[in-house]
Amino acid sequence: MTRSSIAGTCIILALTACSSAPISGGESSPQASELTVFAGSSLTKGFTELGADFEAAHPGATVTFNFGPSDGLAAQIDSEGGADVFASASQTWMDDVAGKAGITGRTDFVTNELVIITPSDDPAGIGSLDDLASPGVQVVLAAEGVPVGDYAREALTNAKIDGAVLANVVSNAEDDAAVVATIISGEADAGIVYVSDVTAEVAPGVRSVEIPDDVNVIATYPIAIVDGSSNTELAQQWVHFVTTGDGQTRLVGEFGFLPAA
Amino acid sequence: MLLPLLALIVRAPWSDAWSLVSSETALTALRVSVVVSLLAALLSVLLGAPLGWILARARFRGRSVLRAVVILPLVLPPVVAGIGLLAALGRRGLVGRLLYEAGIQLTFSTAGAVVAATFVSMPLVVIAVEAGLRSLDERLEDAAATLGASPGFRLRHVVLPLLRPQLVAGAILAWARALGEFGATITFAGNLQGRTQTLPLAVFEARQTDPGAAIVVSLLLVALSVGVLVAMRDRLLAR
Repeated sequence: MTRSSIAGTCIILALTACSSAPISGGESSPQASELTVFAGSSLTKGFTELGADFEAAHPGATVTFNFGPSDGLAAQIDSEGGADVFASASQTWMDDVAGKAGITGRTDFVTNELVIITPSDDPAGIGSLDDLASPGVQVVLAAEGVPVGDYAREALTNAKIDGAVLANVVSNAEDDAAVVATIISGEADAGIVYVSDVTAEVAPGVRSVEIPDDVNVIATYPIAIVDGSSNTELAQQWVHFVTTGDGQTRLVGEFGFLPAA
Repeated sequence: MLLPLLALIVRAPWSDAWSLVSSETALTALRVSVVVSLLAALLSVLLGAPLGWILARARFRGRSVLRAVVILPLVLPPVVAGIGLLAALGRRGLVGRLLYEAGIQLTFSTAGAVVAATFVSMPLVVIAVEAGLRSLDERLEDAAATLGASPGFRLRHVVLPLLRPQLVAGAILAWARALGEFGATITFAGNLQGRTQTLPLAVFEARQTDPGAAIVVSLLLVALSVGVLVAMRDRLLAR
């Protein structure tokens, strides 16, 4: 009795241990009208809505997204494939996929800037970038290697306050979405994310503080079709849609992105 | 079952393995992991054993509900556990708010990582202890009682010695679970080197920048876990 219940416990343990593994697309048999887009997590809101637009404009087409930190997505594409289109928040990880999995039709489609966010009641009194260096301020950044985390550190270095601010960092989050969640919950005093992360839904829960242009970092987002895509025609249409078509209009007009240079 | 493990061993960059394992990041994460998992296992026993006793011996309405609630963290997605802990113990949480006013902040602290690991590990002790007590012959306790043994004496000299295998097995399982904890920890306690970055979190972060290091640190974690489970094997078989 006891032994079997412990064995049962072991089984439960084994089952729960694998429940958090990410599952990439492409498990079902590829259909002509299915498109799988891997995109940096800062594109979650915008691309999700564009997906519905695209499906409406292309009857029979289904767009499936895999959002996550661009570096993690690049690693998934390189080792497992499964993506028709990759949209990255940094050139670094598109270079990575270009060198390993292979890509075609690479284009820069939007740019983004950094902004400081604090909980709406601003418990630490953050009025400028320099305030992040004040002793005791609890700062959350995305981890190193994650594009928005690297950009944030670059901006801090530009402002010559990286040492003091990094000493205030209480957590290196998985991605920008995790930084936003932490700030909305009020658990930390300030975070650095993309301007586009402060969406209509997020805006009421946070307070934005601008980062001066001379130290801010411009993130350029490349998009490309991944080699081995089972549906290059639809993939091209998606890339066109977000680069120059209605998708571009909405990304820039509604979702806080800036047009590519 | 063995395939992922073999693949890790095959893929590991063995030539750099030692420098990767002895890197500051890995050693710091190892230290945090050992401290956090041992404390979590200890707390799990201290809190879980009495709960297991209540579930096995006390007669009251709603016992099956209590059991479900106590065991819930085991089957909950860890990230949900983390969100629940934030809502309860974060600095804006129901109880955490009061702690914060008193100068205690669990989030982003090693104590917070211990709380997250304990939350998901404790059910293993509860289950082991409850099952152990149920299979225990109550007449032994009754016999001790008729011989004039006080409840405290019966607990120390009759129940605890008989329950030892289950207690030890529960503690070791809890320790192993705490060692592998990821989701609740990163959600509730965050990810900061030297404070809350345990081995699983270090693996997750390294995966993004240095896949080779991620594999080596993974193997370090596997080695630790296997050690823990092998130590338990004899406990399971010893009757």
